[in-house]
Amino acid sequence: MLSISNCHIHTDNGRIELPDITLKSGELLVLTGPSGMGKSTFLHWILGDKITHADISGDIALNDIPLNGLNIEQRRIGLLMQDVHLFPHLNVIDNICFALPYSLTGSNGKKLHKSQRRKVAINMLDNIDMGYVAQHYPDQLSGGERSRVGLIRALANQPKALLMDEPFAALDPKTGALVSQWAYNQLQERGVPSIMVSHDIKNIPPQAQHLDLATYYHSTK
Amino acid sequence: MATKIRRLTLSAGWLVVALVAGLPLFGVIVGLWPSVPISEADVARFFAYNGLTYSITNTLFISLAAPLLALYVAFMVYSQYRFNPRWQTLEKRLAPLLSLPHLAVALGLVYLFSSGGMVFNALWGLFGQTAPDWLGLPRKSLLTMVLAISIKEVPFFLLILSALGRQLAIKDWLLQGKALGYTEGASWWLLVFPIMLKQSRLALLAAMAYSLSVLDISLLVGPNIPQLYAVVLYNWQTGFNAYEQANAFLGNLMLLIMLGLLIVSIYGHEWFTINRLRINAVMANPFKIARLSRLFTAWLGFFSLLTVAILITFLLWSFGWNTQSTISTANWSFSLWQDEWFFMQGPLLHSLNIAFFSSLLGVAVTLLALELQQQTNRKLPDYVWLMAILLPQLSMVYGWQVTHTGLSGSYSTGWIILSHLPFTFAYSYLVLRGPFQSLNQHYELVAASFGYTYWQRWWRVRFMLLRPALLSALAIAFSVSVAQYIPTLMIGAGRVTTITTEAVAIASGNEQSITAVYILVQAALPFIAFLIASILAQRIRGSFDAEHQ
Repeated sequence: MLSISNCHIHTDNGRIELPDITLKSGELLVLTGPSGMGKSTFLHWILGDKITHADISGDIALNDIPLNGLNIEQRRIGLLMQDVHLFPHLNVIDNICFALPYSLTGSNGKKLHKSQRRKVAINMLDNIDMGYVAQHYPDQLSGGERSRVGLIRALANQPKALLMDEPFAALDPKTGALVSQWAYNQLQERGVPSIMVSHDIKNIPPQAQHLDLATYYHSTK
Repeated sequence: MATKIRRLTLSAGWLVVALVAGLPLFGVIVGLWPSVPISEADVARFFAYNGLTYSITNTLFISLAAPLLALYVAFMVYSQYRFNPRWQTLEKRLAPLLSLPHLAVALGLVYLFSSGGMVFNALWGLFGQTAPDWLGLPRKSLLTMVLAISIKEVPFFLLILSALGRQLAIKDWLLQGKALGYTEGASWWLLVFPIMLKQSRLALLAAMAYSLSVLDISLLVGPNIPQLYAVVLYNWQTGFNAYEQANAFLGNLMLLIMLGLLIVSIYGHEWFTINRLRINAVMANPFKIARLSRLFTAWLGFFSLLTVAILITFLLWSFGWNTQSTISTANWSFSLWQDEWFFMQGPLLHSLNIAFFSSLLGVAVTLLALELQQQTNRKLPDYVWLMAILLPQLSMVYGWQVTHTGLSGSYSTGWIILSHLPFTFAYSYLVLRGPFQSLNQHYELVAASFGYTYWQRWWRVRFMLLRPALLSALAIAFSVSVAQYIPTLMIGAGRVTTITTEAVAIASGNEQSITAVYILVQAALPFIAFLIASILAQRIRGSFDAEHQ
């Protein structure tokens, strides 16, 4: 469960007092609002990134464990951005292997070796009928394939929550709608609480919660 | 008619740039033309040359180790500074740090850290003891060569990595890496280094080709028995008898084979390293060794301090300090500067004259090469333009020397300027290519909409916007020319002396004080060029600089 409370965002132009947010396993919150209001900044704050152009305060907890004192790599929160940033020097399997936890063990309790980790990655791709891109490099993938591989890579890391910053905005409307519904199903299936920033109000999955930042915005100018 | 004139102009332009960019290859090919008939006995005698194997392996070791060491250090420095507020300071200081000649760094290290060196003595003096000789940096050794070259090449690689970094989404990759649970250090190595390593191939090759055939510092700080290959080959090339001429030909061939081996090793190293890193990425290895990079947050301070220490040491020596004296007992005076000024004026004027014209011509030909590629929409790969720094200097200059002699050329500054031109051109190209090719064409489009002709737009928009980058290119080309030793020596046949040829000649002897005077002047020339360039660049507002590629 991801919970955010007492959150205040101060930007040059105004401030936002967010209501308390609680996302249970598999729930999705879609954040909308005009450009420059601080949606992406809010995501980066949850992730633990350094915020330079706004002041954000508040409490974040994941499964009742406070996250504020932890750095990005300790939080175990996944991130999916518009440009998925698949690492260009690694093929699809190795991109996924990179995300698999270091301590991943097999049924015998022993740490997996290289080929076993690659097998896990291939299984993940096969499960979504994308085994055919296993050996492809990121520049050989279409936009939709990249987004799906990006999500699978993020999930391979077994994150406790996932943040998505307009992950499907670069896709054409039809593919965007299909991939976002597919992504939501994947997240629900795996029980990962997620927050997604989106400009596309029409394509919000029906089961998702919706928060429009503009509702809580107070201009200071 | 107009089309014909345009075609003729373009052809003439291509001919000029082909001549300048192609001179290195021409030199290498001519150098491979045996001036005496080569027999099997000559080949056997060549391979039986005393110490040849050690000479070759030592040279290969230096040429491989020093640039690789410099690349790794530069990457660790870059990873520590890139997203740090100090990056701006580092970027500003890179060019002046780069301008310090190799010779000054090499001799500076010896003056500071060899037994009897200032830092070495001062450190032991603190404990009231006399330093044991074996602990100091050897005056002439493989270690000294590797240290001198690698320390000097770090700013060069930093400049390359900085340019590469602007084209990569490093910040996002690091964020992804951290979101997946890796430390920032591990993310740099596992995600950024493999890509940067691949893209640094040409820079690595340039540094290796330089180390392979560098003569001045090989003579001064390289091992003596056996000498490094560049020294051995130079001796053959300047010999007169048939035996030496045959060895010069075979030696040139060997130098190219060594270059081939280095190219193979660049690919081999790249393949091995990327594979190892890929395995670490697949295994999600936390890569704790990456923590070592943190040590390099101190690099800027260290290198600045070293530069200042080197300059102070030379200054003290030039004012009367010696290994036996202390600050209070030294016989301080300006007399050495006064005495040497008389002898120095000629070489100094030659250096200024040659560097001024060769840098100006180098930058002009670079602009021509870039403009021609843009106009004809035909972009040639970088290695075509950078042959002067990718091929071993000794081989190409030997070919030029043979041609120069064949043409009964005079020993004048004109020929020396011509021999420096390919190098000033190559470095100018390296500096100007980015700003020129990524200049926003909308500016010229707007000017065209106001009715300006092509050449008016070129001069009043493109050239004006490129002024800061042009100034940087001029300063770098000027320093490159000042530091040239082999072309000046071989084409000038010792009759056209410059500050660099004089510095090497004096440093070969035992006069450390006089050497210090000449090294200081040699180091001051590029520094002044960079200072003037940076002052002028600051006065130009709203322009497009090399930093904004």
